[in-house]
Amino acid sequence: MTTRFDRRSVLKMGGGLLAASALLPKQAFAQQTAINYWHTFTSQSEFAGLEDVMKLFAAAHPDIAVTQENIPNPEFMAKITAAVVSGSRPDSTMVSSERVADLVAMGGLTDLTDRIAAWERRGDFDDSRFASITKDGKVYGIPAFTFVDWMYYRKDWFDEAGLAPPTTYAEFRDAAIKLTDPAKGRFGFGMRGGAGGQSYVINIMEGFGAKLIQDDGSISLDRDKAIEAVDWWSGLLIKDGAVPPSAPNDGFRQIMEAFQTGQTAMLWHHTGSFQDNSKLLKAGVEFATAAIPAGPVNRVSRLGYAYNTVTKPETIDASWEWIKFWGEPDAAVAFLEKTGYFPASTVAAQDERISGNPLYKPAADTLGFGIPAPSFAGFAGWSESVVLPAFQRVLIKEATPEQAVDEMIDGLAQAIA
Amino acid sequence: MTSNVGSAYSRPPLTLWDRINPVRMIGELSETRYWMYLLLIPSALLITAVVIYPTLYGMQMSFREMRLNRPDLGTGWVGLKHYQRMLTDPIFWVSLRNTAVWVTSAIALEFLIGLIAALTLNRNLPGSKVLAVLILLPYFLPNVVAGHMWALMLDPRLGVINDLLVKIGWLEGYKAWFADPSTAMAAAIVVEAWHSFPFFTLLILAGLKGIPSDLYKAADIDGAGPFAQLRLITLPMLKTIIAAAVILRVIGLVNSPDLLLILTSGGPGRSTQVLSLYAFQTAYKDFNFGYAGALSVVMFILLMGFAWAYVRLSKVNED
Repeated sequence: MTTRFDRRSVLKMGGGLLAASALLPKQAFAQQTAINYWHTFTSQSEFAGLEDVMKLFAAAHPDIAVTQENIPNPEFMAKITAAVVSGSRPDSTMVSSERVADLVAMGGLTDLTDRIAAWERRGDFDDSRFASITKDGKVYGIPAFTFVDWMYYRKDWFDEAGLAPPTTYAEFRDAAIKLTDPAKGRFGFGMRGGAGGQSYVINIMEGFGAKLIQDDGSISLDRDKAIEAVDWWSGLLIKDGAVPPSAPNDGFRQIMEAFQTGQTAMLWHHTGSFQDNSKLLKAGVEFATAAIPAGPVNRVSRLGYAYNTVTKPETIDASWEWIKFWGEPDAAVAFLEKTGYFPASTVAAQDERISGNPLYKPAADTLGFGIPAPSFAGFAGWSESVVLPAFQRVLIKEATPEQAVDEMIDGLAQAIA
Repeated sequence: MTSNVGSAYSRPPLTLWDRINPVRMIGELSETRYWMYLLLIPSALLITAVVIYPTLYGMQMSFREMRLNRPDLGTGWVGLKHYQRMLTDPIFWVSLRNTAVWVTSAIALEFLIGLIAALTLNRNLPGSKVLAVLILLPYFLPNVVAGHMWALMLDPRLGVINDLLVKIGWLEGYKAWFADPSTAMAAAIVVEAWHSFPFFTLLILAGLKGIPSDLYKAADIDGAGPFAQLRLITLPMLKTIIAAAVILRVIGLVNSPDLLLILTSGGPGRSTQVLSLYAFQTAYKDFNFGYAGALSVVMFILLMGFAWAYVRLSKVNED
């Protein structure tokens, strides 16, 4: 007997298979909650660190499956804004300090005040760690790790020139000029005038006394002090020639490459690039670390925190387990060992694996005097869309420091209007 | 054998099932003149959902205050406030000027290179097939990949282009192409032209295949040289295709900021800032969707005006 395979029997079989397949996934994955996590890690060391943390988490929480998704830093706010507006937000997200105000304002983060207050590890963290993630008394995330700004310098070049690492802006400029040798293709400092350079401009302005947030909480910029700062900072290129001519377009990749390939003598960044630099240069021999030099008025070394937050309230239980896991000492140290990012937890930062390494001392010292970046709604947009282009115009000699600062002041007024 | 030719066909009476059978009803409907419109409904719905609705929504957003990070300002009607702001916004005018330079130069270069490539491929020389694939390769790359690739090739420290130019003596030292406002836009235009000239090549080559060879034979007999034939036969016969290609590329270039976002982010100092990039940054860095909407509407109007003017001036419809 033969069976005739006609169109109707094929359709019936297809319908049956479809109905069966709709049931199967629910059966297979019913035991695990899946959450996705957005982050802005880009380097291999950061990914390696994240992988280690995810492995430790998977071992501790086999009922929660975390899928990580990298969003490049410059595009992060565009993506998260679109996700929040369209209702397709991720379950959990890494957020840096300067973005918190904008995300809270647009309703992108979930209030975790009660959970954090009841968290058994809350006491491991100094209260100041939560300052940037707290708005109107509500806490929206847990600090995952710390961006501690510090300086990398070519110890071998400094020893060759008989120089000590600079501790003030004046010593820094002097060292940059002395270590510049165009014949050898060397420049004293790798200035970040491209993407991301706006934070340096703001830090230098603050170092010269032009704070953004005044003591009474108002937001303004001291014109004269800001002009002095912009003139000094741009002077490193325009007057001293102590930075590469590519500075107006140099972003993260360019300043790192310049330092790692022996073009620049000093680099200002944070501890997160320590492992990457160590792969190409010998730590303690070819390069060493130092605290960011002090300005004439203020010592501005930024302490920023990357916070892990819950962005989708529907999966808050699983996401909460994920974000608080980063506060565990083992997770924090595993991440540090792969990247160099300091733990945000005070208890984890005292771990022997950190306190016993002399190269980490400048970062540990900075924890004592470091200050957070300014944070208010509109700050990120103003700094990126106004401060950076205005400063670039000074670097390419299309504007004077006075014109640039006036543009910054006008832009600031519009941003907070 | 009886024949039914010439005799009227009589339908059997419809049963109850016939009257409600959906397959039969669709079959009957497919023979009416409404069938064509019904088939278009799914496409029309899709276009309405992903094109018309977002366009109209964006336009109405341009008349509202919509700052995502300032919910205290509300989302109320502000009329022409954003358009008035545009008139006195120096960045808008810089962006508009840069957009004109960017689009005009890139299109001219793409057309020129595309025409030369198409004319070469049309000669069916040995190896033309392989050459055709190689010529099309840049167009297959996503803009982001092409941008990063060229950023590395033009890198002021490690770039291979700098190395070659120094070795052949055209440069004294490595050049920071994207850090110098006098070369940043030009370098970006070269990258864009490299990436998109195959678009013109493809369309022009298709057009060339349609030109009768008799015209060229007759021109040969009359003593017309290659350039005369190009000017008097080839280009006029390609008028419609060239117009379509130019309009499509202009729309594509005006609307997509991705290459400039990768290469320069509009810098240094706004020397490569174009309207689409400005609108994007206004929306996603400043979170000012109202003003970004207004910028987008202006771009839309400029593109519509350009397309209308170009079709009229090129006299495409006069054939």
